[in-house]
Amino acid sequence: MQPNDVAVNIPEVIQQIPLNYYLIFSTALFVIGIIGVLTRRNAIIIFMSIELMLNAVNTLLIAFSSYRSDPTGQVFVFFIMAVAAAEVSVGLAIIVMIYRNIRTIDVGVLNKLKW
Amino acid sequence: MLSQFGIMFLFILTAFAFIGGILLFGKLLRPDRPTEEKLTTYESGEEPVGNAGVQFNPRFYVVALVFVLFDVELVLLFPWATVFGQPTLIAETGGLWGWFALTEAVVFVVILALGLAYAWAKGYLDWEKPQPQLPTVATKVPTTLYEQVNERYKRPTTP
Amino acid sequence: MTFQTYDCLQMLPIILLSLSGIALLFLGFQKSRALLLPATLLFLVIAFVANFLDWGKTYMYFRDMLLVNNLAMIFTGVVLLSTFMVVSLSGSLADDEDAQPAEYYAILLFSLVGAIMMIGFENLIMLFVGVEILSVAMYILTGSDKRNLRSNEAALKYFLMGAFATGILLFGIALLYGATGSFVLSGIGNYAHSATNAGGSMLLFYVGMFMLLIGMLFKVSAAPFHFWTPDVYDGAPSLFTAYMSTVVKTAGFAALLRILSVSFSGVYDFWWVAMAVVTVLTLLIGNITAVYQASFKRMMAYSSISHAGYLLIGLVGLSQASKPAIAFYSLAYSLSTIAAFGVLMLVARNRPLNAAVFGDQTTLARTDEHYDAFNGLARKNPLLGFVMAVSMLSLAGIPLTAGFWGKFMVFSAAADRGAVWLLVVAVLMSAVGIYYYFRVVIAMYFREGQTDTIRVAPFYRIVLIAATVLTLALGLLPNLFQGLI
Repeated sequence: MQPNDVAVNIPEVIQQIPLNYYLIFSTALFVIGIIGVLTRRNAIIIFMSIELMLNAVNTLLIAFSSYRSDPTGQVFVFFIMAVAAAEVSVGLAIIVMIYRNIRTIDVGVLNKLKW
Repeated sequence: MLSQFGIMFLFILTAFAFIGGILLFGKLLRPDRPTEEKLTTYESGEEPVGNAGVQFNPRFYVVALVFVLFDVELVLLFPWATVFGQPTLIAETGGLWGWFALTEAVVFVVILALGLAYAWAKGYLDWEKPQPQLPTVATKVPTTLYEQVNERYKRPTTP
Repeated sequence: MTFQTYDCLQMLPIILLSLSGIALLFLGFQKSRALLLPATLLFLVIAFVANFLDWGKTYMYFRDMLLVNNLAMIFTGVVLLSTFMVVSLSGSLADDEDAQPAEYYAILLFSLVGAIMMIGFENLIMLFVGVEILSVAMYILTGSDKRNLRSNEAALKYFLMGAFATGILLFGIALLYGATGSFVLSGIGNYAHSATNAGGSMLLFYVGMFMLLIGMLFKVSAAPFHFWTPDVYDGAPSLFTAYMSTVVKTAGFAALLRILSVSFSGVYDFWWVAMAVVTVLTLLIGNITAVYQASFKRMMAYSSISHAGYLLIGLVGLSQASKPAIAFYSLAYSLSTIAAFGVLMLVARNRPLNAAVFGDQTTLARTDEHYDAFNGLARKNPLLGFVMAVSMLSLAGIPLTAGFWGKFMVFSAAADRGAVWLLVVAVLMSAVGIYYYFRVVIAMYFREGQTDTIRVAPFYRIVLIAATVLTLALGLLPNLFQGLI
């Protein structure tokens, strides 16, 4: 086994693992993210769980993209990364704004709006 | 026959086992006599001051935020670069392609730069220096008197 | 391979709005804030005109990324008109010391770019980018009242829920891509047509489709994905609530309409039951919970959920007729909602701060937005009373208003598909709707209150009157609009 063989073609390396494994892996990541969003109370942790969900999507898109030898999926990943960064800044700004007002980021404390 | 990923898995297992073994080995050999000095946090040899979980100045946060945005948006320039240099496209358009692609990238970067300029002009990038407040005492004695006293009993400066 | 450089010149609204947004940001450095509002309105008018330049033609822009046809232009027109009206009701921002009107207007214009992308997308990348541009802008505007804890809370809730929904939407898109190998709507549609005929497992496709739909239903606040809506609409400043409940909803439904009619029409039998269940749930929850609200603003939030339900009926009865029906309904709904919020903002500003909430904590200080605030309004302010009454009638779907024809067109589109039981639920729920919409009218005309004459700025007055006249005109002559499509 030559080390060069590995580096030549990344899609081939990705394809050494069956597609279903990627599917299961990213679904597992995604579900972990969902559970994190639903059970945690710290806004930052919820936020990290959402990022985990997005990264699960990225993994899945890259796997599909290399299995189909179609670069569009990877371009989509670039878009997701760029947009997620914009979303992160806004989200963190909101969290800092709340922290300045009430000195906590526990979402359980935020219950002023009830029907 | 192991696949390449099997080898990787073995490697990871070995790494964990090795680290665990070394730590266990050290635990068995070393004497265990903790003192208060030994248990304090190492802070470059200085006496540790205050809590480790201190709050950072929010100004760090604003700068970091601006950085993250501009840093990540540049990820979009990588796909652009692969298209920019494609010989077939350049040949087909008689060299015009390069200018076209360059203009698009410039538009993209200029819009980002406008955002940075906005943040700058708004003053979000200014690093305000703390203004030390000199304590003032309400007394009848004029300050010049203090200065004279200080001058007379000044400690000789070390050469 | 050829590339058309003239491509970009015809995509005028998007480019104009982006540039004018940036221009507005830098206009904000001026000492005087007087120029901002007219400049924003001017930019919106230019974009509105530019939007209709290509009338009657169908173009595909940016290598099959965006489609512009008459329907897309009409939806864009509705969105631009709603924004124009919301912006023109924002005159008080210039006097507010804490407010940053330049940034708000710029963000509104940027978010419109997202809305236009959602209306005309042909590629799922554009859908995602459009949804995100619109949503991120909304997170900021929801939290724009920085010292107000309710606004903060609303922003955080909206952000967390919105980002969560985006994650689900993206996972759906990824699965669809895995199943079909394409992000292009027509490519997915072709796969759906051929694969259903060929048989075989379409699990990936169906799961992806449902996750995509769930993500979009989240954004348009259909039950059971609506729970963020009342809190967010209640906590956000009224001006931006008006924007959210009209523009975001219109764009969301335009996007749903596009993807359902182009990509998923081949598997209609598979999704229509699920969508019908969502519709019934949305109608029931929206209307019945709205009855129990004490706050007018919160009632409007539930009312927007229920209107999402009526719009969903148009989607369930997907046909050629449902496209103009949904466009008309969006227009009627937007006009009345903005007029109602316009009156609410005036009334709330002229009331003392709500003592019960005010006593809690100063950051919680907020204006009174309860039904009681409207008591006796019509006696001293006949114009405001009339505007509010007409918009309530239109929202309730009373004949001779635009809302009636909106409901009529959506229902008849569904009736053609034979979904009669759905219509029975919808009509019953409309009757429930009459109850809570009329509470305001009764409060205004038949209750005693100590309302003084409210001073209305001339331009504000013109916009309110225009919205009312348009609502009545569309109610009397719905063919005016139908003839366009």
